[in-house]
Amino acid sequence: MTASKHQRSDRVGVYICYCGGNISDHVDVEKVRADVEKIPGVAVARTNMFMCSDPGQELIIEDLRQGRIDRVVVASCAPSLHETTFRGAITRAGANPYIYEHANIREHVSWVLHGDRATAKAEKLVAAAVGKARLLEPLQPIRVEARRHVTVIGGGIAGLKAARVLADRGLEVVLIEKSPFLGGHVARLDRVAPHGEKAADLVAELARSVLEDEAITVLTRSQLVGFDGYVGNYDLRVRAVSDGDGEGQGTYVPFRGVSGGTPPELTIETGAIIMATGFRSYRPRRGEYGHGDHAEVVTLPEFIRRFSMAESADGTLVLDGRIIRSIAMIHCVGSRQIPGIHEEDAEGRLNEYCSRVCCSAVLHAACRIRERFPGTRVHDLYRDIRTYGRDQEELYQRASGAGVVFYRFSPEEPPRVTAAQEGAAGQDFPLRVTVRDGLTFGEEVEMGVDLVVLATGMEAAQVGDLVAMMKLPVGSDRFLQEVHPKLAPVESSVAGVFLAGTAQAPMTIGEACNGAAAAAVKAASLLGRGYLELDPFVAEVDPDLCQGTGDCVRACLAEGALEMVEENGHARARVVAARCLGCGACVAVCPTGAIDLKGWSLKQYEAMVDMIVADLAEST
Amino acid sequence: MTLVTPDFVEELQQYGDDTVLRCFNCGTCVAICPLINDSFPRRLIRYIQIGARDRILAGGRDLWQCLHCGLCSRTCPRQADPAEVILSLKRLVLAAWREEDTKNV
Repeated sequence: MTASKHQRSDRVGVYICYCGGNISDHVDVEKVRADVEKIPGVAVARTNMFMCSDPGQELIIEDLRQGRIDRVVVASCAPSLHETTFRGAITRAGANPYIYEHANIREHVSWVLHGDRATAKAEKLVAAAVGKARLLEPLQPIRVEARRHVTVIGGGIAGLKAARVLADRGLEVVLIEKSPFLGGHVARLDRVAPHGEKAADLVAELARSVLEDEAITVLTRSQLVGFDGYVGNYDLRVRAVSDGDGEGQGTYVPFRGVSGGTPPELTIETGAIIMATGFRSYRPRRGEYGHGDHAEVVTLPEFIRRFSMAESADGTLVLDGRIIRSIAMIHCVGSRQIPGIHEEDAEGRLNEYCSRVCCSAVLHAACRIRERFPGTRVHDLYRDIRTYGRDQEELYQRASGAGVVFYRFSPEEPPRVTAAQEGAAGQDFPLRVTVRDGLTFGEEVEMGVDLVVLATGMEAAQVGDLVAMMKLPVGSDRFLQEVHPKLAPVESSVAGVFLAGTAQAPMTIGEACNGAAAAAVKAASLLGRGYLELDPFVAEVDPDLCQGTGDCVRACLAEGALEMVEENGHARARVVAARCLGCGACVAVCPTGAIDLKGWSLKQYEAMVDMIVADLAEST
Repeated sequence: MTLVTPDFVEELQQYGDDTVLRCFNCGTCVAICPLINDSFPRRLIRYIQIGARDRILAGGRDLWQCLHCGLCSRTCPRQADPAEVILSLKRLVLAAWREEDTKNV
């Protein structure tokens, strides 16, 4: 405890922003300035049209340099917007950036209140900020060593790309893949939309460069089973995937054999983790568009595999020895599901999102069929065509040019796939597809087909064990969720854990590689210096007041952030700063007030409350 | 219920250019047509796409209201050339009418 803790500064500088009218149209900024200037401890009170502008920041820098002030309050927009701007200005003036307090008089005042009430509330908030600022202390960021090592989970295209970029940035990488193979879902494709490159070439080239790189260790048939530590210093436990899991060595498992036991674990010391755990292809329910009822109804991934072995009979497609004269391809299977219309899965969930890649994948397949086998008719049944990326709309046009016939159905009345009635006219096809077609003015049309292909979408991979272990946030669509869809698109809310590829959302190969490269670069820049600087707003124990009750340890939300240690024969709480979230749960339960938050101390809160309840005129 | 007959597009090829599958059914031609309501000419073009031959012959009268001003072809975003398709249809209907006529004699 330093003596300064209870000393109040008498040189607080207050800077109130007009925000170009955003604030000053409703708050009498000059009145706030005049009243705030009289608050004890305020040395300087100034206004500016835009405090965040260079001249605005210069006001603060100049007052600090001249020694007029030693604490700073800026009253402006939300701190999420400009807190770091003003901390930066203070740093440039040569002062400690943590002598700063922010008052939000835009979102909290001028955007929600008008007239005298707005001005009165603005004065209260600024006064509270001054009260706190007087008790602020210079703080130092927490510096922790960081391992220049990243672990990538998942060996699909995104995991491979992330590993490649990380190694290029000079970091050590471990790549963990559950299956025996690298390449994931891309390896199961033939030629890929929209340009028709061979998927095998894409995967083979990337995987080889990963395997040949000495900085990358590839562990196939491996899974993550333990996760501990904190950003820059994670300890992972990895184990070989084994069918004998959970069975003691030597146990006979009926019809399987004798268990070899659980394979040994490997510990990996790493600095950051990239989740490239991929997706799962939607599996149609039995009877969904006749899937499971008719052998001639297949999913698009199944079709792609069979089509790679296609044969020709005078320009007509032959699959597995069967002549395919006519194919119906149905979009949006397992995607864009609507409550009340589509059937929920076993867990009562629907895939309400668009899987984004299926339209182009279907059209690409349709073009390939028509161009290679002009004797085979293709009927494309869609809800909407969403060929959103570069050169993808051209695919739609190309399909039209190649003679693909389109039909548009509504989700309320999807196409029906039935076995053809024997002897019916024009029905020498095994299956009949009936659809109420929006393009034919809502009339019902019917077509005979040899094959139905379902454009199945993407679902989140089954990574519940990892999600629980690493406490990762998951969206309502069950994919891993980023911190911010635009401003922090590959960061998870767990520091040092990043998201790459379709673990996060349905995306194309190109988008997955974009995401993977972004995640890799974020990880590299996080660990690049070999140490991290974390915000100092963490708990702090006063060893003189601590009675060693352990209440704080039980209340702590972040595993391992508080621990009990022996000091001179007494139990005392100790904070592991790098793990502390700064939530304050410990402060609330300590019976002796021995634990407090740096930068958000109880005394500072009390000072804010005092200023809010005080009559400003009285206090002056 | 209409049974889709994809072969019809090929039958029509003997009467004119094969542009009809380029149409993506936006309806610009219907909006621009100064003379005829009721989804002309898109309705007929759609019937060609799915091969609804009977519907085309039944709706053949509309064809003779068309003045061939060419606005539909000029505004078509897919170069499906509706005006030219209407001409092809006229030839088809005439040929079919002659066949019918011969049969009736």
